[in-house]
Amino acid sequence: MWKSLRLSLLAGAALAAAAAIRPAFAGDVTLLFWPGPESEAMQKAIDAYNAGQGKTDHVTVKQLLFSRQGYFDKELLDLAAGSKDFDLSLVTTYTIGRYAPYLAPINPYVTPEMSAQFAPVSLNSLSYNGKLYGVPTDISLHFLYYRKDLIAKLLADPAWQKTYTAIAQAKLGAALTPKDPADWTWQDFEAAALFFSRADNKASPTRYGTALQMKDLIFNIMLWQATLVSNGGNWLDAAGKPEIDSPATKTGLEIYKTLVDDKATSPASISYEFPETNEAFQSGQTAMILQWNAAYAELNDPTKSPVVAGKIGLAPLPAGSLGHKTHVHSLGIGLNKASLHQADAGKFLAWLATPAAMTVYGEAGGTPPMPSVLQALSTKRPEFKLIGNYASQYGFVVKGGTAPYALPVYTALADAFSAYWAGQVPVEKAMAQAQAGMTAAMAQK
Amino acid sequence: MSAAGRTIAFGQERRAGYWLLAPLIAFLVITLGFPLATDLVYSVSTVSFTALWSPHWRGLGNFVDVLQDPVFWQAAGFSLRFAVIATVAEVALGFALVLILNPLLERHGWLIAFLILPMMISPALIGIMYRLMLNDFVGIIPQYLDMIGIDANLLGPQCVFGTLVVIEVLQWTPFALLALLAAYQAIPAELVEAARIDGGGSLSVFRFVTWPLMLPALGITAFIRFIDSFRVFDQIYVLTGGGPGTMTTSMSLYIYRAFFEKQQIGLAVAASLLLLVAAVLLLRVSLTRLLRNEPA
Amino acid sequence: MKRRHRTRAAQGLRWLVYLLAVLLLNLPVIVTLLTSLKTDADINASPPIWLFHPTFMHYAEIFSDPTLDFPHYLVNSTSIALGATLLTIALALPAAYAIARLGIGASFLLPAVTNLRVLPLVIFAIPFYLAYQALGLLDTRLGMMIIGCLINLPLALIMLVGFLRELPRELDEAARVDGATLLGILRLVIIPLARPSIMAVAILSFIYAWNEFLFALILTTRHATPVTVGATYFITSWGVRWGATAAAMVVSVLPPLLLGLASHRFLARATTAGAVKG
Repeated sequence: MWKSLRLSLLAGAALAAAAAIRPAFAGDVTLLFWPGPESEAMQKAIDAYNAGQGKTDHVTVKQLLFSRQGYFDKELLDLAAGSKDFDLSLVTTYTIGRYAPYLAPINPYVTPEMSAQFAPVSLNSLSYNGKLYGVPTDISLHFLYYRKDLIAKLLADPAWQKTYTAIAQAKLGAALTPKDPADWTWQDFEAAALFFSRADNKASPTRYGTALQMKDLIFNIMLWQATLVSNGGNWLDAAGKPEIDSPATKTGLEIYKTLVDDKATSPASISYEFPETNEAFQSGQTAMILQWNAAYAELNDPTKSPVVAGKIGLAPLPAGSLGHKTHVHSLGIGLNKASLHQADAGKFLAWLATPAAMTVYGEAGGTPPMPSVLQALSTKRPEFKLIGNYASQYGFVVKGGTAPYALPVYTALADAFSAYWAGQVPVEKAMAQAQAGMTAAMAQK
Repeated sequence: MSAAGRTIAFGQERRAGYWLLAPLIAFLVITLGFPLATDLVYSVSTVSFTALWSPHWRGLGNFVDVLQDPVFWQAAGFSLRFAVIATVAEVALGFALVLILNPLLERHGWLIAFLILPMMISPALIGIMYRLMLNDFVGIIPQYLDMIGIDANLLGPQCVFGTLVVIEVLQWTPFALLALLAAYQAIPAELVEAARIDGGGSLSVFRFVTWPLMLPALGITAFIRFIDSFRVFDQIYVLTGGGPGTMTTSMSLYIYRAFFEKQQIGLAVAASLLLLVAAVLLLRVSLTRLLRNEPA
Repeated sequence: MKRRHRTRAAQGLRWLVYLLAVLLLNLPVIVTLLTSLKTDADINASPPIWLFHPTFMHYAEIFSDPTLDFPHYLVNSTSIALGATLLTIALALPAAYAIARLGIGASFLLPAVTNLRVLPLVIFAIPFYLAYQALGLLDTRLGMMIIGCLINLPLALIMLVGFLRELPRELDEAARVDGATLLGILRLVIIPLARPSIMAVAILSFIYAWNEFLFALILTTRHATPVTVGATYFITSWGVRWGATAAAMVVSVLPPLLLGLASHRFLARATTAGAVKG
């Protein structure tokens, strides 16, 4: 034992010494992304480029992935420290203000004629101080996903309707009647969620009405803030001061809380994020969910979601006093200011901004914010048409949502609001904490 | 015992002895000198990611902010409670297993191998494994609980603390077991025999022989587990991210989040320096006792 | 007769406790292993199934992913952990000797190094990043070895001091009388005698260095990425790919697990018992 271990230690020492010498790497263009469907779709686009236009440009693009755990922390640190390990990197609406100082504007490579092909909202959401910092590659917004079969029965069955009205009267204090999900207000959504929960309706065909995402996570705040904005609230008031302690915030927070308290969403949804909500819906035990558009492909895939595929209806998020609203943000590819290969990287960006490239990306699973491409692909991806419509009709970016402090503000809101939903603090305290956290985040340089 | 355990070296030998220490000291100075100096500067500065190399003087403001931040105290409380409960449970369980299993383990030494496997696994990966096991839909734990009619939400506000403690205890009880087993097997058989001959039952053997002889081992095992659990980070980071709310924000997580997510670098560093001071004070007391050094 | 029955019953009970403890303690590993061998449909089955046709598709998936390089991560982890271990022993052993036998440094070095273990190391993240960037150590295995060594030094030093205090003094006294130098005593007397203890410390150091996560996340980009970070690459923006994640985790915990299995004899000594008695 001792002898072999000593041998392996010696071998290891040699290996370690050899390995400590850093291997040289070629001067290709490197694109930093996070692992997942987007990077897989991007890989297809990159392959197409390397095999085609890249040959003419004499550029080869390679993808570099960072772990999703702490992705933004690591990306920020690398950008801020002037890392030259990558030339292009993922930029998002909510990090653009923060990363802009370390990015080079891409206007020199993407001409106005080229960018005119993109939906204006996506360009705006990747611009900072008048300069464009990324080629938009994906647009994200939210849908109300519902089970068409269940809602159809609700709209047709008098016995169900009677129960529905009775539950709405008892729990919400209003004798509501079922409506088409496209016309729902938040109150209709609450009533339907209660109706489809066994805790509130013993005869419910599903266990839970909905599956809210309430984990302490910035993305969950993005989804939630439609309740805020559709009721007239926002992050900042007209003068640019934080107003997250407004009555609209309280309304929005309480919509979630009512559903938690009445068990219309699983008690475990306190720790749900995107995948858990999908799983809840896929299991067939949840009647409707508020979810990102990216979920549709998987939820409607008969092999991945045998129980619900083909039965899914899509509608805009329920309406508040200002009508339907949905948070919109974009992902895009930006240019590292410290990159040593900016010109080469720019060539790739110029190609990426073409409809041909966006079509490859969209076919591979991305959601390119280019109306012509969305339209062309809508036979294969039926949700694409709605994405275009909802973004222009209902889409919003919160005031301050592209500022340098956006990410810390989201973090502060997630801390405060998830604590309220979990029953840790009362609503007033959560709102005061959010306001204080927001003020502190904005005060920082 | 401690006086007999060491000799005082003089003259030449002492000088030679310093040469033995020199590589370690040099390594620590080289690797930690710059980070410590940077942290000391950051703690009294306003510093942002835009200007990591050029902090601005701020004075003691960061320390004041930390001490006034309720989340800091909450995190300190969480880490302390977490570490105390986990340590007590690990040492108690480990000791119980030693007492029960020692006859087996003495005869078949290889059996210990399967008991200590959890120690070999990265806590970050353990966290991800539990994310799988606790998953509402594909996880085995909620599914089996559900079958026996328990609709417990193990990551919800009521249970999350307990869940995290149990995860920690299941991973690190093997460490306590291993440490205590060696100490237990080192108890001279003659002593136990002598106590028996004097008419002691198993209880009094335990009370007058085993327990006092095991005390130092119990102490140092608890000590090591305490400092390790106090700075718990990896599994909480991947499992709850510190939530719901800030319920499971441990000291390390507080510092990490202040650092990266909130960009309050000065605050994060100030918090850790406060922690360092607390640690130094704590260690001064416990180390001298546990390691039987000369009184400091 | 009755007594024999009783001991046999006790023996049976002991085995029962043992089996239960092994099962409970290793549950995450068992579940992860099973998950890695299931098809996606089997993973999603409710209630969970324990008997199924194993598939290696997830292993094929993680090793064939064009954007990842698992063999490379394994080589990284191995060299980082080995390098860190060698460095730890090389630094801690002489120092432990000086502390245990010559009484030098016990009052300042030991507490100072132990303090290191109490600190959340995350506070050193940014300074280390800056220093490493300036020195070209960012994203290198050498840089990660240094981190691994720093993590291991406190426990290694405490344990080695404890072990060395346990060794009979007569031997090095005799060597000293024969005119051996300190280094000579260390090499010819102490190291051979303390071999099992040194092995124990080395094995623990290897495991701790292998399992390091936070610094690897922050300080590596591609060349020095270890498996602990690689195993998180199947946690995506749109959900966790459980099958691939489980397979990646099995691959990344296997080496330390096998090492622990093979060397339990040393590890049984790798305890603080020595330190306690010092």
